[in-house]
Amino acid sequence: MRLPDRVTGLFLVGLGAAAAYGGWQLPPVPGQPVGPNVFPLVIGTGLALCGLAIAFGIGHSFEEEEELIPVEGEQANKPPPGKLYGLRALLPPALLLFYVAVADRLGFIITAGLIVFVTSTALGARPKLSLPLAVLAPIGIHLIFSKLLRVPLPAGLLPMPW
Amino acid sequence: MLNTLFEAFALISTWEVIIAMFAASVYGLVIGSLPGLSATMATALLVPVTFYLSPIAAIATIVAASTMAIFSGDIPGALLRIPGTPASAAYADEAYAMTRKGEAELALGAGVWFSAVGGIAGTLSLMILAPPLAEIALSFSTFEYFWLAFLGLMCATLVARSSPVKAIAAMFIGLLVACIGIENPGGVPRFTFGMTDLFGGIEPIPALVGVFAVAQVMRAMLTPEPPPIPKRKFGSILAGQWRLTKKYNVQMTRGNIIGIIIGVLPGAGADMAAWVSYAMSKRFSKEPEKFGTGHVEGLVEAGASNNASIASGWVPSLLFGIPGDTIAAIAIGVLYMKGLNPGPTLFTEKASSMYAIYLMFIIANIIMIPLGIIMIRLASHVLRAPRSSIMPVIMLCCAVGSFAIGNNMFGVVTVAMFGIIGYVMEQNGYPVAAMVLGIVMGTMIEQSFVTSLIKSDGSIFPFFERPIAAILAAMAIGALIWPVLVWGWRRFKRAAAPAASAG
Repeated sequence: MRLPDRVTGLFLVGLGAAAAYGGWQLPPVPGQPVGPNVFPLVIGTGLALCGLAIAFGIGHSFEEEEELIPVEGEQANKPPPGKLYGLRALLPPALLLFYVAVADRLGFIITAGLIVFVTSTALGARPKLSLPLAVLAPIGIHLIFSKLLRVPLPAGLLPMPW
Repeated sequence: MLNTLFEAFALISTWEVIIAMFAASVYGLVIGSLPGLSATMATALLVPVTFYLSPIAAIATIVAASTMAIFSGDIPGALLRIPGTPASAAYADEAYAMTRKGEAELALGAGVWFSAVGGIAGTLSLMILAPPLAEIALSFSTFEYFWLAFLGLMCATLVARSSPVKAIAAMFIGLLVACIGIENPGGVPRFTFGMTDLFGGIEPIPALVGVFAVAQVMRAMLTPEPPPIPKRKFGSILAGQWRLTKKYNVQMTRGNIIGIIIGVLPGAGADMAAWVSYAMSKRFSKEPEKFGTGHVEGLVEAGASNNASIASGWVPSLLFGIPGDTIAAIAIGVLYMKGLNPGPTLFTEKASSMYAIYLMFIIANIIMIPLGIIMIRLASHVLRAPRSSIMPVIMLCCAVGSFAIGNNMFGVVTVAMFGIIGYVMEQNGYPVAAMVLGIVMGTMIEQSFVTSLIKSDGSIFPFFERPIAAILAAMAIGALIWPVLVWGWRRFKRAAAPAASAG
């Protein structure tokens, strides 16, 4: 997901311009010189200017390269990651959206179990670990949040006895 | 004064506070010691739990968890060369080199001992600095608040270990996020795109959880698992620490002071303090050639520094609602929820609560020594837990915790979105701390800006007329043009160098 500065910079120019334009469109408070439109206008303009500067590489020399601490051993014999490997990073937010979409229907325990199973498998756990975890972790979290802290978690298909 | 102190004692000597503090300490030690789980993340995931606690117990959990997590990040740093939290990254190499020389006890002991000393020094600075500053702050008008907030945002961009332009852009993104909702001078829906969920604006806490927790799980998906810790027996942990204290007391004090200063600066936290102190220690050391080969001197200074910054980060938070670092940003959210709205009057009206905070910091730093030693001895067991069993639980906590903040699913969507935003920003060198600061301070800076503009009838001169406002303005503008000057100077030098060598 490392994008060239030109791309992120130009994206910020667009975002800033859109914010400034959106702010401009807001209705002013009658009889007052400044209203809700001033702040987005200032911010949007500033953001667009920063975006331009980034796109032209200003300030790049200040960036320090991230110190990568190499993990010793077994680095060499890993297969080279495929093209779609980078997309794995999108799994956690996708699972959270999945939770939003189905938790009310399936209930907390089932949804959470699925999330735990997928996350843990994606991180390389064997079924011997991920299956028990998918059963126990949701029950534990449910116990803490629903019983102790009284958060109304959706019951769905599998309500808990407490 | 003495009365308030007794009241404060009464406030913290309830079972609820004691249990909350102890549980949060253990939690902080465990999360901090696991590589990839930072102190900020530990604190952010605690927030839903604090809803159900009394105000003092809620603050106790945050104080205890953040203090412990910063120390326990040293443990995997020393044993595996992988810092548990970013705050330990500066000296992980050094500590690991000591372990290789067979001095693991000394390295870890220095971690726990000088962390405790640093934490107490930071607390003293909070006790000494905050009340007189509150006195001055009582006379502040919106002009001063505007410049103060502006200065805070500029500081955050200056100290970021990244391009200042990108840091400023990240800050603007945060301010833009804060624009969403109807809480603006006109009370009109702004940038809500017709979604009722956005009318209330973006809550800072789900945004923080997304940026610090979800983004971390996303990174874990692409990075290899850290190796398990080798089993080892430890000798006495605290042996020799008193000798070190006497030998390196100058370094320790310097570390404390640097940590306090960096903690007070908005946006710069423990990790920055550790980097600066480690570098300083090396520069002023009598034996700089030993650095990097397992020399304890830098560990003393940086360890004393990063914990000192935790407590002093609360100074601007309590006084002005301007977070000293990302952990303090979360603390501010909790303070607001618990009716302890930050501001100078907090020190007069709720003095006993303030004393309770000081006391909790001191207690947390004292119990850190025994608990930290236990943690060091248990580390090889705790750190054996594979990442694939911890990250899924973090995911569940993110989902349930963000739901619990408003009891609606939109919180979960916010967390997911900010996970992506935080991940992409971090990957491209935009410091997320600056954005977080923008989100937390956005409403405040807009209010003081617009109110000031209305008072001054559209003219900008009143912004500079009051003496304190003028000083703050000068500092803020200086901070703004500083990177430009540095950039110009570098250009000039680079242009001059070839000319000189040619001539």
